[in-house]
Amino acid sequence: MSALSAEPIPRDTEHRSRTDARHDLIFRLALRFCALLVLAALLGAALSTLWGGRDVLFHDGLHFLLSSDWNPVENQFGALAPIVGTLVTSLIALILAVPVSFGIALFLTEIAPRWMRGPVGAAIELLAAIPSIIYGMWGLFVFVPFMSTYVEPWLSDYFGDASPSGGVQAVRLVIGTLILLIPTLPMFYGALHRWLHGMALTATALVLAISLSGALSYVLMFSVLPNLFNGPPLGLGLLTAGIVLAVMILPFISSVMREVFQTVPARLKESSYALGSTTWEVVWDIVLPYTRSAVIGGIFLGLGRALGETMAVTFVLGNSYNLTASLLMPGTSISSSIANEFNEAVGLHRSALIALGFLLFVVTFIVLLIARLMLRQLARKEGR
Amino acid sequence: MSAVYARRAVVNIVALALSGLATLIGLVFLVWILWITAQNGLEALKPTLFTKITAYADQGGLANAMVGSLIMDLMALLICAPIGVLAGTYLAEYASGSRLGASIRFLNDILLSAPSIVLGLFVYVIVVIPTTELTDGRITFSGFAGSVALALIGLPVIVRTTDEMLQLVPGTLREAALSLGIPQWKLTMQVLMRAALSGILTGVLLALARLAGETAPLLFTAFGNNFMTAHPLDKMASMPVTIYQYTNDPNPALHAIAWAGALLITLFVLALSLLTRIMFSRKKVSYE
Amino acid sequence: MNDLAAASAAALTGASAPAKLKVRDVHFYYNGYQALKGINMDIPEKQVTAIIGPSGCGKSTLLRIFNRIYAIYPKLEAKGSIELDGENILDPAYSMNRLRTKVGMVFQKPVPFPMTIFENVAYGIRHHEKLSRADMEIRVEQALRSAALWDEVKDKLKQSALGLSGGQQQRLCIARGIALRPEVLLLDEPTSALDPIATGRIEQLVEELKHEYTIVIVTHNMQQAARVSDRTAFMYMGDLIEFDNTEKIFTKPGKKQTEDYITGRFG
Repeated sequence: MSALSAEPIPRDTEHRSRTDARHDLIFRLALRFCALLVLAALLGAALSTLWGGRDVLFHDGLHFLLSSDWNPVENQFGALAPIVGTLVTSLIALILAVPVSFGIALFLTEIAPRWMRGPVGAAIELLAAIPSIIYGMWGLFVFVPFMSTYVEPWLSDYFGDASPSGGVQAVRLVIGTLILLIPTLPMFYGALHRWLHGMALTATALVLAISLSGALSYVLMFSVLPNLFNGPPLGLGLLTAGIVLAVMILPFISSVMREVFQTVPARLKESSYALGSTTWEVVWDIVLPYTRSAVIGGIFLGLGRALGETMAVTFVLGNSYNLTASLLMPGTSISSSIANEFNEAVGLHRSALIALGFLLFVVTFIVLLIARLMLRQLARKEGR
Repeated sequence: MSAVYARRAVVNIVALALSGLATLIGLVFLVWILWITAQNGLEALKPTLFTKITAYADQGGLANAMVGSLIMDLMALLICAPIGVLAGTYLAEYASGSRLGASIRFLNDILLSAPSIVLGLFVYVIVVIPTTELTDGRITFSGFAGSVALALIGLPVIVRTTDEMLQLVPGTLREAALSLGIPQWKLTMQVLMRAALSGILTGVLLALARLAGETAPLLFTAFGNNFMTAHPLDKMASMPVTIYQYTNDPNPALHAIAWAGALLITLFVLALSLLTRIMFSRKKVSYE
Repeated sequence: MNDLAAASAAALTGASAPAKLKVRDVHFYYNGYQALKGINMDIPEKQVTAIIGPSGCGKSTLLRIFNRIYAIYPKLEAKGSIELDGENILDPAYSMNRLRTKVGMVFQKPVPFPMTIFENVAYGIRHHEKLSRADMEIRVEQALRSAALWDEVKDKLKQSALGLSGGQQQRLCIARGIALRPEVLLLDEPTSALDPIATGRIEQLVEELKHEYTIVIVTHNMQQAARVSDRTAFMYMGDLIEFDNTEKIFTKPGKKQTEDYITGRFG
């Protein structure tokens, strides 16, 4: 014990303090520099592609965005086809992936037995770990033939023909009407609820809903769908690319949904269950409204992924600059145009491809910005 | 009244069944893709893949692509791991509550899902074009440029995990070190980083898993090379780009090699992501 | 006001020992909220001073001003003066290094560094002094002995400190604190996370350490304050209500609020 109370230890604490302060300052500046590199990467990506694409962006401007004439031989660069291709494939991907992701998130948070949630959730997330080139290969060698043999002939037989025989015509109209009744009937039922009661309500709503969905079904069956599903079943094309993209973005959207569904306070759900709500009603009336902004954020996150994805779509799009309304026809996208042509391109062609890259970056940046802002709202609500 | 109950029960059952179906759809695609890759890959797996180079085309292997990928992945980690860890440390330790920190954290999340092909273009403009011009075309595409592009893919992953892991370290550890007169930089480097080490390493592995499968950013940075090289300023082959080229080729023998490569790369990436998943669930921080 | 403060401080000092820390009119603000409302007290040298009071009364806040650990967080502000051996430690010119080598601190939860047992103790010393390996070993052993931990860990100095029990970890933290040979040791509810046996060992240790150090202990456990301290301060809502010999505080407190607290009528 007494050894401790020996004479005071000579320590130059003032000198120590000064060197510590200096080292702390250097350290902090070095850290901040590294953090700023993240900003520099984003800013650099935007500026360098803007610079690389300046010849096309500043000279052709609107023509670049609005023309569909892409002809490297004659130095004509209208980017409408890849832009439309990117938007259409991403839209298809969203239409398919959002409901499926929602179903997965619902299943994994509310329905599946506890022991199942971990492994199944992990399996779904493995979809995100598979490299996109693998999606591309599977798409080209397996999914394209699958589509051209099974799915596309069926689609073009049933929906692609604008003037089929009378029987087919009637069947299509009825099926379309019945499907469209699902959204329209509750709509009219709800709107009329205050005005009418009992049988009158049901009958009136039914009549209105049937006439509306019948009309819609007619338009859909005989002018929209025949255009969308018109053409030979090549397998390659916008629809196939959209489906592959949907599978790719599924894990991103579903994992965001799953995560935010779990943030809903248990007391909210319990009080709804206590009133006799079904699981579906709790999810639809409590969970979804509570997490709405984050769910939209998750969807935008998926959209951002879909817009920028390259390898999965390059193989299955077919690389065609012809703009058609049909989803069964080959097309191109911004990223696959760049991937396919960049290494052979020179001069203005190369500049046009870099300009496409700039466009893609700006669009995905905006989409991802919206996604993150929406996701942050829920975090705020939770007080994180 | 009972009609209402019946309707609600039916709606509920239909909705729940559909959600189960959705999960099944997801799983079917996973199994389908993995099964196809395994089947085709195993069929084409042979020793020459590891010994011969791509110059022999369908008589060759993937040896130079493997070496190229290994070199570029490691160089990419060497670039992005230190920067990412330090940047993440800045966010967690120095920027809590600051506007700069909040916006960097926010933009890092955007970089995390930015299109990788644009990052490739970025590196093309800032690395490939300048080296071409400075050396009169002797150095154009290079393994180094490829590594920089891959580093940009890995960077945001590491920044984010480091930030999150350091935030899990209890604040009392900071107070304890500071109350001994330990300066902040020492506290950060020697105490906090050690406490969060396994989490930070997980982030680095996660970054490796992400960048190892990337093709798009390598197309016009590293390009490709049919011969073996380890020189970072040469054009360099990589697994994903070789798979891409072989898949585009009409020769079915090359497709087989591409499948074998696809299997190897999938196994590597899936093994890494399983490993990180296990590490994550074990311990977030080697503390507590 | 100042005269009054000085007078009341003098009254609180008692005559038993010279003051090591002179707290004068200390105010403390969190984001503008006032947590301490003018504290005056003299902490006697080489004695144990306990600070008690209901949670939120400001006792931990006060302790955390004594080594300016609060300063690592933004928007916290202390006003007034605290003299350590006649120099105001709240003066920005008083260097943090000097302060923290003179005033050590042990926290509620044991927080060993993620290093070996030996390194946990050596780490702080190494930053402030250049010692040979042999000298360092002596210093570490002394610190561990003083913290009554040496016999339990002498064979596993190279093992991770995270493998020790909670009570051992807390004694290691005390060893780490006294290894720098401070003059004042601050203990912030050091036993609140420990079981009764480990608590007993720490209390015994405090008893031994007070011959060498000026000890200030914050505790919510009144029996502990009564057992280990020479003097006890009672705080309530940011005010120092009463500060006197421990025996007097617990047997015939001078203020009604103190008596209510001691007898468990609130808090």
